[in-house]
Amino acid sequence: MSANLDHKPLLTHEIGSLDKPGWRVKAYAGQPLNDRDLEEARSWGERLKVPDYERLIELLRHAPFGKEQKADLQRWSSLYALKLEEGAGLDVVYDGEQQRTEMYDWAVSHSNGFERRGSVRAFDNKYYTKAAVVAPISLKAPFHSAEFSYLVSVADAELKIPVTGAYTIADWSFDERYDVDTDLREPAADRRRKRKAARRDFVLDIARNMIRPNLSALISLGARWIQVDEPGASTEPDELDLFVDSFNASVEGLNAMFSTHLCFSDYNLFFPAIERMSQCRQFAVGFANYDSRELGLTDEARPGYQVIKKFADLPYKPALGLGVLDIHSDFIESPELVRDRVLYAVKVFGDPARIHVTPDCGLRTRSWEVAFTKLRNMTAGVALARQELGLPDPAR
Amino acid sequence: MVASTRGLDRGRVTAEAVGAAFAEDLAAFIRVQQQAGLDVFSDGLLRWQDIFRPLMEAVGPVKAESLKRWFDTNTFFREPDLSGALAGINRTDGMVVDAAVPRPRVATLPSPFMFSRAARTDRDRNQLMVDLAGKVLRPVVDAAIAAGCQLVHLEDPWLGYFGIESSDWAPLHEALGLLHRDLHATLAFHVYFGDAGPHIDQLRRLPVDAIGVDLVETDVNELGSGWDKGLVAGVIDGRSSMLESLDNTVEVARHLADTVRPRNLYLSSNCELAFLPTVVAAQKVQRLGEAARKVKQLVSV
Repeated sequence: MSANLDHKPLLTHEIGSLDKPGWRVKAYAGQPLNDRDLEEARSWGERLKVPDYERLIELLRHAPFGKEQKADLQRWSSLYALKLEEGAGLDVVYDGEQQRTEMYDWAVSHSNGFERRGSVRAFDNKYYTKAAVVAPISLKAPFHSAEFSYLVSVADAELKIPVTGAYTIADWSFDERYDVDTDLREPAADRRRKRKAARRDFVLDIARNMIRPNLSALISLGARWIQVDEPGASTEPDELDLFVDSFNASVEGLNAMFSTHLCFSDYNLFFPAIERMSQCRQFAVGFANYDSRELGLTDEARPGYQVIKKFADLPYKPALGLGVLDIHSDFIESPELVRDRVLYAVKVFGDPARIHVTPDCGLRTRSWEVAFTKLRNMTAGVALARQELGLPDPAR
Repeated sequence: MVASTRGLDRGRVTAEAVGAAFAEDLAAFIRVQQQAGLDVFSDGLLRWQDIFRPLMEAVGPVKAESLKRWFDTNTFFREPDLSGALAGINRTDGMVVDAAVPRPRVATLPSPFMFSRAARTDRDRNQLMVDLAGKVLRPVVDAAIAAGCQLVHLEDPWLGYFGIESSDWAPLHEALGLLHRDLHATLAFHVYFGDAGPHIDQLRRLPVDAIGVDLVETDVNELGSGWDKGLVAGVIDGRSSMLESLDNTVEVARHLADTVRPRNLYLSSNCELAFLPTVVAAQKVQRLGEAARKVKQLVSV
């Protein structure tokens, strides 16, 4: 990876998750596989030119699967997702988090101090498993090292590792340790004060005792770009300073390129707090969900991108990972629509080196067919934008 | 239900199987309420993906709507698009409490204030609020009462979280008046996700039968006394997995009965229980029932 990757014009990457293939889900859950599942594995293997994919098909014919075979299937799933992203033409890739249960659950289930409590709705029919902190927080063992080591061995493109951030983990957890003695007869102001102090201790304990050691382990394995995912960062508008403190406590003094991913928020809330996040070299932010689907480079044509000027003005000049794909919809953004979103951002920033191009968020709620088509159109749209700007195609 | 709806989205589960899963979960939720000894029963809005969705589906073809964060939670709703003239609704199916729910039943709906503020619109929001009350919410309320609901519970986290302009109170009166007029049920307006204290005097003047407050955010000492309305006291924290102390909950309820002296005292959660896993929510419902039983023994309200 080049030392100045954070300033590579119109660099493309994904954000994190992809849906897990049916064969992987069923095989892992011990459910019977049918011909459709095998065909899914075969056709995507062929289409993505996955090396030796016939071995996967053979393996899938021998259910039920033991522990070793399940681990093998997870790696196959990782390889398929990696090849999907490389096949879509992305500059920087990962594996769609195929080896993780889910971004939150994976982190807390590999850490001490948490107990699962059950599922809670996120939106529509999407739920996530929520845990409670009940004891001191620490890392059981670095929980992304194995997947990263595997991906290093099979990836052609550069890698960026998505890691769930401290603030989001705290925000998505119940607190049964730090703020437990609630008495509704106490003055509400006193209760709020106690809650705020407890929350700070909780978030910073996660940053120091869970995230930071995990990042250190990845760096020792050669990781050069780590994306700290913070979809929960703006949940509590009065805690943005705490979010920034948690990012800084997680990465301070570590030697890698750090970025952060923010989504589905009023991004205006992040200012001025993130002016103190100078170790963040890129903000990957979802905008397409709020944008028009019309072509055009005017402010009126691009309502979802009006806030990007604030990112452009950050004093430490980070790159902006520009979300151009709505991940909550099967609508396929045309290359021309992607092009216009990118050109609009370049116009606002005045520097294509500070614009990277991404989906709004992980694509796990879309089918592989939709995700692949969207990503291919994204890279095609970036190629159109490069032409328009007179930029050369980047050499891998 | 979680697994079956996820499977439905991915084409791995049939609609019939999802229907059966809903029925099973509803039966379990009813059992929890019965075992807890609650006085009014809810269907938990299990089929509602968010508080606006069935209403928006009845208003007209649902447009591609943005996901928006539900206040300061990790839950998201589809922002209702209410631009242009509001036609009203001519059907209420899917919005009336399921027939399997024992009577008396509670119907839970968005308050017109919150609905008008959470929506995307090019209209004056206060006019929209009044329209929503008359053309959308009132037909649903009437259908709910015809289906056995004796309590209509209007959720309003917007007022609690964001507050309200002084010029908005009069239109809110008008909107709630449309819902309250000739109503053969109890109408409650529940403010949560924020401190109701600064608004208590205005809230008590609203044309409703009961005011709900979030006691996790509101000081019990700011509620005043001598209420000529009911008080829906949010004493169970719907956002915390910690189970409330029975004694403390009972003491708070006693304090409210003694000092606020509402016309009726309803014990409730401070907000919906959708932010809790089912097992935790069931424990909280049980605790609510235990507390209510004990309070009934101790005070006469």
